[in-house]
Amino acid sequence: MSSETVRFSDERLAEIDKLVKRYPSAQSALMPVLHMAQEDFGYLSMDTQKMIAELLGLRLMQVREVVTFYTMFREQPCGSYLLEVCTNAGCMLNGAYELAEHMCNTLGIKMGETTEDGLFTIAEVECAGACGGAPVVQVNNVYHEHATPESMDALITKLRTGQEAVSEGGAA
Amino acid sequence: MIPSDPKQVKQICFDRINIPNVHKLSVAREHGAYEFLPTVLNEFDSDKIIDEVKTSGLRGRGGAGFPTGLKWSFVPRNTGKPTYLLCNADEGEPGTFKDRDIMRFDPHLLIEGMIMAGFALNVHDAYIYIRGEFLHEANVLNAAIEEAYAANLLGENILGTNYSMNLTVHRGAGAYVCGEETALIESLEGKPGRPRFKPPFPAVEGFYACPTVVNNVETLATVPAILKHGGEWHAAIGIPNNTGCKIFSVSGHVNKPGNYEVPMGTSMKVLIEEYCGGLQHGTVPKVIIPGGSSTPWLTAEHYDVPLTYDDIMKAGSFLGSGAVIVMDETADLVALTRRLSHFYAHESCGQCTPCREGTGWLDRIMVRVQGGAGTADDVDVLHDAAQHMAGRTICALAEGAAAPVLSLLKFFPEDVKARLAEKSA
Amino acid sequence: MTYLFINDEEVEVTPGTSILEACRQHGVDVPYFCYHPELSVAANCRMCLVEVEGWPKPAASCCTPVSEGMKVKTQTEGLKKDREMIMEYLLIHHPLDCPVCDQGGSCKLQDYTVKHGASRGRYAEPKRAVINYELGPFVNTCMTRCIHCTRCVRFADEVAGTGDIGVLNRADHMTIAGIVEEALESELSGNLPDICPVGALLDKPSHDVSRPWELDRHKSTCTQCPHGCDIQIESRGDVVVRIQPIEDSPEPWICDRGRYVYDAFRSDNRILQPKLRQGEQLVAASWDDAFAKTVELLKDKRVGILFSPDWSIEGQTAIRLMRDALFPEAKIAYGLHRRDMRTFAFEEGFSMTTAQIEAADHVVVIGSDLRQRLPLVMQRLRKRGRAGKPVSRIGAMNYRTDMQIDRDALIRPRDWAAVIARAMEQVSEVGKQASGFEAWMAAVPERHEAGKILADALLSDGCALLVGEEIRAHEDAAALIHGLDLLMRACGHAESESDGRNLLPEGMNRQVLSATHGDVRVSPGDLFAAASAGELDALIVIGSDPIGDGLFPTAAKAAFDKVPVVQIGSISGELADRVDVQLPAAAYSEIEGTFVNMEGRVRVASQPIKSLGEERPLWKVMMRLVQVMGGEVPVVSLDELRAVVAEKLPELGEAWKAGTIDQVLLKPRRNRNVDYLPAKPSDAFDLDVVSRYSLYREGMWARASALLSEAGRIHALDDLLVHPDTLQSLGLEAGEHTVRTFLGEARYEIGTREDVSPGVLFIAKRGVAGDLSDVSVASIEGGRS
Ligand SMILES: Cc1cc2nc3c(=O)[nH]c(=O)nc-3n(C[C@H](O)[C@H](O)[C@H](O)COP(=O)(O)O)c2cc1C
Ligand code: SF4
Ligand code: FES
Repeated sequence: MSSETVRFSDERLAEIDKLVKRYPSAQSALMPVLHMAQEDFGYLSMDTQKMIAELLGLRLMQVREVVTFYTMFREQPCGSYLLEVCTNAGCMLNGAYELAEHMCNTLGIKMGETTEDGLFTIAEVECAGACGGAPVVQVNNVYHEHATPESMDALITKLRTGQEAVSEGGAA
Repeated sequence: MIPSDPKQVKQICFDRINIPNVHKLSVAREHGAYEFLPTVLNEFDSDKIIDEVKTSGLRGRGGAGFPTGLKWSFVPRNTGKPTYLLCNADEGEPGTFKDRDIMRFDPHLLIEGMIMAGFALNVHDAYIYIRGEFLHEANVLNAAIEEAYAANLLGENILGTNYSMNLTVHRGAGAYVCGEETALIESLEGKPGRPRFKPPFPAVEGFYACPTVVNNVETLATVPAILKHGGEWHAAIGIPNNTGCKIFSVSGHVNKPGNYEVPMGTSMKVLIEEYCGGLQHGTVPKVIIPGGSSTPWLTAEHYDVPLTYDDIMKAGSFLGSGAVIVMDETADLVALTRRLSHFYAHESCGQCTPCREGTGWLDRIMVRVQGGAGTADDVDVLHDAAQHMAGRTICALAEGAAAPVLSLLKFFPEDVKARLAEKSA
Repeated sequence: MTYLFINDEEVEVTPGTSILEACRQHGVDVPYFCYHPELSVAANCRMCLVEVEGWPKPAASCCTPVSEGMKVKTQTEGLKKDREMIMEYLLIHHPLDCPVCDQGGSCKLQDYTVKHGASRGRYAEPKRAVINYELGPFVNTCMTRCIHCTRCVRFADEVAGTGDIGVLNRADHMTIAGIVEEALESELSGNLPDICPVGALLDKPSHDVSRPWELDRHKSTCTQCPHGCDIQIESRGDVVVRIQPIEDSPEPWICDRGRYVYDAFRSDNRILQPKLRQGEQLVAASWDDAFAKTVELLKDKRVGILFSPDWSIEGQTAIRLMRDALFPEAKIAYGLHRRDMRTFAFEEGFSMTTAQIEAADHVVVIGSDLRQRLPLVMQRLRKRGRAGKPVSRIGAMNYRTDMQIDRDALIRPRDWAAVIARAMEQVSEVGKQASGFEAWMAAVPERHEAGKILADALLSDGCALLVGEEIRAHEDAAALIHGLDLLMRACGHAESESDGRNLLPEGMNRQVLSATHGDVRVSPGDLFAAASAGELDALIVIGSDPIGDGLFPTAAKAAFDKVPVVQIGSISGELADRVDVQLPAAAYSEIEGTFVNMEGRVRVASQPIKSLGEERPLWKVMMRLVQVMGGEVPVVSLDELRAVVAEKLPELGEAWKAGTIDQVLLKPRRNRNVDYLPAKPSDAFDLDVVSRYSLYREGMWARASALLSEAGRIHALDDLLVHPDTLQSLGLEAGEHTVRTFLGEARYEIGTREDVSPGVLFIAKRGVAGDLSDVSVASIEGGRS
């Protein structure tokens, strides 16, 4: 992608225009705009980052620093479904590692990898803030609490066959 | 006033939590939301509100337990600069999941609390900084805020008064340290969330160098009840210096994990046995982490500790965010510590030498120890490395990172030694 | 004042001082890495911990303000252990490569390891791998050695203003990284290795050349720009390996031009022995033979003298003595960047110090590429910007500043009079008047709105006016400066204690030159014209390169083709092809001498490095010349020479005597009695010519430096630039076009850029378009008729 091809839609640009006004300075809109870009383009390529720097009147380095600091921002594409398994204390004490291993086996990949068909990426994440429902798996940012090997297998099957779409819209 | 019967419990933040669809403005209003707001906007002034909050004894629910009224009174007035109110909804401390419930079930409670706090502090732009993963909660909040704008509860001339306030939800993007208030401010300014050293304190120079108040969701959600019923009313709940109710997020080896709002002073044992249905295995917990993973561990010895800032401190830990992680006899404490060390090594913002290098070092040693490849020296090194991180850094993350390691070494040295012996065996 | 106790001793500091500064001010040693007095506080290394009585934990002293009665301890058992641990944390990922590291010997990490470290590291895990990054021709990176103090990041943000170094990632995979295409976009990049406390950022040119302990250090003065920084020249034997700023001088930084020019000291371009022309070639000769030839060329001849103002005051005085003894009729020219030789209402030089400019209520930059001309003043303006103080600017080009300029206007040089008249109108309206306004305004038919920016700035309480080369080199400079002077007087910025009139000089020593040579001065243009017209028999050129630099290359070539030239200097330059005799004079690194910078600050070079060849200090060459020509030698020692200087410049004489020479501030000359009205510009050509000054390419030293030339290539722009509208109005597009001037026609590659004022032809690359330097107006031919 060259910077000419990475472009927000006009609706997005209008939305960003409004968003910028909510803050004392346009730099504050950087994170929301990065979320939007990731939603629209899948990940944050260097060209996307340059485009955003220009859009908000920032230096590329200011954008790079933010993109690389926060774990939710991705500089590489990932699978259509991002399965994020929390393995922190609450979930660990309730079988998260066993669950994660099971899911890896089901998908036939290792932690952090993407399936060959580009459908699933599995990752271990830090405490999701839902320990009451441990273990917790986020699928494209939708929480699945009290997850079990069975419930996850069922979900993966559904996603694979397109019977269930997971998404919760809204980036900002 | 500490009732021991769960059904008798007075609830403040969770008062409306079980009402279906209370996230909708119409439903919330049927159940008292914004009822008292006109009175506050028309009849109260800053000093009165701050006085009521001081009288209430409310202490910050985000972790540090700093008296909220006092914090508000530090904000300089008439500086010629705007004052900002930031709600800390980053909820990243492992074990904590209380703010999420307030936001997704009763967002109008938080919004009302923020309008009142904003009015008291003469704030015209307020922000809710919510952790990036809480997309659903952000969407619920945004919908609620939209309704509130439409009903003139937010925006210009709220309810016909001359007070105006905008409220914006701002999503984080996966960084625990952004829960620290100055990191939160940096993040909200569109930068990496690296904490600032203090002074200057945010109350004087915070968001874009303007006076800024950062409060936790639960803290702000408590404000409407305090103003409605009076500070005295709130002060009468719990015990002196530890007033009101507190939501405890209980997780780990209990039968009914979840959020429970109980009056301060309720005992840990009552919380675990009567509310949470007791332990999964055995009768006495092996370890209780009382206030989120960054707080030092308590053991069976303190099973009875009253849930107050002061009592838990006396027992050697902190009430923190009220995230109680319970471990029964089946817990592998070396593995748990290793996992928590990994968390801090992942989340350190990286600026302070002891934290950047120390967290990674602890993590790598713990991996080795857990894998049975530890050496006798490791115990000393772990101790030294953890000890000299704590309290020598810009923010308290490093101290939090040291806590599990130091607790493990203090209470369960034999568990560590057993692991070390594995290799030689 | 705040009183506190440091290690039981009571000390006094200004309120708000940090504990660390309080310790530094009172000679108490507290170790630190990230703190730097010139940068914002980051407080990230945590090495500066101290104990404060009553505090539960040690405090970082760099970011903790003192408070009344505070009891600070800097040496305790606890702190010893803390420092040991900080060192251990820092070293876990640090390579153990001190023996091969350039920083070895001047490394804070190494020093502190010896002083504060434990005897052995206990880290047994793998070390992290870090990638290096490209920072251009001057800076090497070895990022595994980085200790993340972020000094370089803060430097890039705050001092260089380029913000191209940042912190990527977090936790222990956090890295310092640059965003650089080919080179750091900063003319101050060479300071990065200096501020890096370890060996992560290293000086590339001196990389692997030497270790710090092998070096001799010489205090000298940089003459590469009028800032005239104090420098420390480091040499191994007589080979210069590095130039560095001097600690505790007014400016802790030096620019890349002054720092990296040193390779020119040994370049092929040096004049290290006398030479004589034999056909096409200059051939080495003995001093005697060279002088014999010189005598033959100059004896009883009508001679013109051109010299560089960058020689020391002693050298320049010797030139005057030589002239008076041998050629009492001779005209002298110096400086190649002034067309209008009438007296200026305020002469070249600053009436303010750079610190005062930084603190002024308002600063207006009038027609100057300050970043290239005076990088260290630009850096001061950036500091202003960060402190929220305004900087406005008017000029022919939106020169890059790496800061937020508050108000900006693009104008053509021919508009200056209209700008000034507009400002006069506005300040008059609010009752600020100077006698002379009416006549001056009446002489200018137009008004230009950019004058509002000027007037608004002048109406603030304190205003620093920085008048640059676009005015100084203007054909009507004396009238424009008179106009500005009237404005400054009307607005109260011309009193001696609040004088805001600063005229950027081209080189060093301008304040003293008018006293020592003003009476015999002519413009170089006149000098060359006289030679070409047969009114002179020979030229003596002392250290200038009128073909490579300045506004008169075409005239210079014509003159040199007509008369013999005796060249005296340190560098051959582009005129060498046309000279008959070359006599070597010592470089500024090789002499003892006195210099004056644009603030009037006296700089003393006291520890010369050894000469490389047969060159002699200029004053000795001059005296020898007098002798061989049969004149009476006026001085035989530096002291005698200084006595002559002191006659003309009593301030210097007294200061030499009192040993306070480095505290002198010489004010530039003010001439109240001038009264020049602006002339009507001729409109024979529709474009005004403005040429770029590149700090990497301007001056014979810089061009002789391979290091600077390389940087110049990287930072080069198109040959000629105009505003897109300028070409569009001619119906042309960017490309090769014919440019017509009073010298004739030539074809040039012309690019476009919004940053150039419409109506201006901007010469971005001198050299290539060198001949255009002679003109101030031109037209582009072609397009629709
Ligand atoms: C590493 C770190 C993480 C924190 N995370 C949170 C958090 O997620 N939510 C929160 O409310 N406070 C958090 N805090 C505490 C805040 O810094 C701050 O004390 C709090 O938001 C103040 O609000 P309160 O007075 O209402 O409690 C954290 C502190 C530290 C040092
Ligand atoms: S203690 Fe750790 S997380 Fe906190 S500021 Fe320092 S490096 Fe960052
Ligand atoms: S000098 Fe104070 S923390 Fe680095």
